[in-house]
Amino acid sequence: MSTVVEARQPGARSWLTLVVCEAKMVVRDTAGLVVPVLLPLLILVMSAGSASAHVAGGFTALEAYVLPLVLTMVLASIGVINMPSFLAYYRRTGILRRLAVTPASPAMVLVAQVVVSMLQALVGLAGALAVAFLAFDARPPADLGAAFAVYGLAMLALYAVGMIVAAVAPTPNSAVAIGLITFFALGALGGMFGGSASLPDAVAAVGELTPFGAAVAGLSAAWVGAGVDPVHLVSLAVSTLVGVVTASLLFRWD
Amino acid sequence: MTSAEPAIFAEHLHKRYGDKVAVDDVTLRVGPGEVFGILGTNGAGKTTTVEMIAGLRRPDGGRVTLLGLDPRRDRAEVRQVLGVQLQEAYLHGALTVAELMGLYGSFYPDPRPTGELLELVGLAEKCGVRFEKLSGGQQQRLSIALALAGRPRVLILDELTTGLDPRARRQMWATIEHLRDEGVTIVLVSHAMEEVERLCDRVALLDAGRVLAVEPPVGLVALAGAQNLDDAFVALTGKQLEEAE
Repeated sequence: MSTVVEARQPGARSWLTLVVCEAKMVVRDTAGLVVPVLLPLLILVMSAGSASAHVAGGFTALEAYVLPLVLTMVLASIGVINMPSFLAYYRRTGILRRLAVTPASPAMVLVAQVVVSMLQALVGLAGALAVAFLAFDARPPADLGAAFAVYGLAMLALYAVGMIVAAVAPTPNSAVAIGLITFFALGALGGMFGGSASLPDAVAAVGELTPFGAAVAGLSAAWVGAGVDPVHLVSLAVSTLVGVVTASLLFRWD
Repeated sequence: MTSAEPAIFAEHLHKRYGDKVAVDDVTLRVGPGEVFGILGTNGAGKTTTVEMIAGLRRPDGGRVTLLGLDPRRDRAEVRQVLGVQLQEAYLHGALTVAELMGLYGSFYPDPRPTGELLELVGLAEKCGVRFEKLSGGQQQRLSIALALAGRPRVLILDELTTGLDPRARRQMWATIEHLRDEGVTIVLVSHAMEEVERLCDRVALLDAGRVLAVEPPVGLVALAGAQNLDDAFVALTGKQLEEAE
């Protein structure tokens, strides 16, 4: 018997297989699609009706404030609340324990979960944007490239925060509890309640550095064609990095 | 590694949960190619012991070597050569038998073909059935098939045939004998005497977290001065072994 054992990590095909399997899990459990697909629409319809007033530069409040906020809320709620509760369910039922005795790594499990959740969120967002454009006459962002860049980065950052929740929450209920508190804390700092102008200056300044606040501010700037403040991009990048590293270190199989 | 070197060496393992001592100074040495039984009542520390051997739990004291590797420090290497069937492990409920086999197989560089594995555990007919639709015994058999997916050199089976009907149980025993002939080292946690007697080269008798004896099945009987393994178990532990369901 030889002692030579190679430490081979599963390859790209295995990552893809896991992503496909996770996607099948979601598609076959239609209840799981309610939050990512219907939530964006609901938040949009609730907020859009009262936001037709014009603000500076010929943009409506819908375009300058409401859409950036709604799109960020969608990412935050799915990334920080929905996705972690799925993973906590896997932990609770022992699916993660079973994977722990295979060569699959925590990163693989987390990333597969994030990828599938992002795909769902994108479907929901596409629906919400279609409604915003068709039913509420919203116009696309003035700086489309910047909007995509900010949104992509915001997605990574908020999912990274969600991964921390997912990595540690012992039960599905605790994942929802931790996720909700995180969501509202980030949202409050980022101007989810009445806009960041209504916050004390110091709080608003801190809020702009959180991934939620930075995403809203960055998207808003991109929508009205103002330059995106690099501080917001750096904030999102740092959040992503901190989230991924922390989640990988704290990850628990059971 | 010489052939005298053990496939698994667990030295002075200790584990406590709060105030309760689950495993108290357990030392086991399993030779390469051996089928090694761990026998004991519920709460004897069997599952905790094998979970420490598999690297799922960190021992409070002592250490484990598996094919010369540390199951926690050398996680990536150990996962290539170790197959584990956990007690009560749930799988992705909405995936079919074939999809789960494909997924778990994809984790390994040279997986055993799905068809061959399903044939081995008698699930070939159930290829397209979702895990959540399988009966308890079928889920158990799938779980064993998955443990074999990576062609493990060491196999840990926790309650191999609990919940299986007599026919499936015999089929599993034949599978274990087949794997033994291939040279796989097997640790079998059980409380079924017939199973241990038929399959195991040696048996560790655990009680209240301690090893009472490590002997071949006939040796345990002789040690206790008993007629059979059931009586030997009662004589050595002072406890009745509960019937496997």
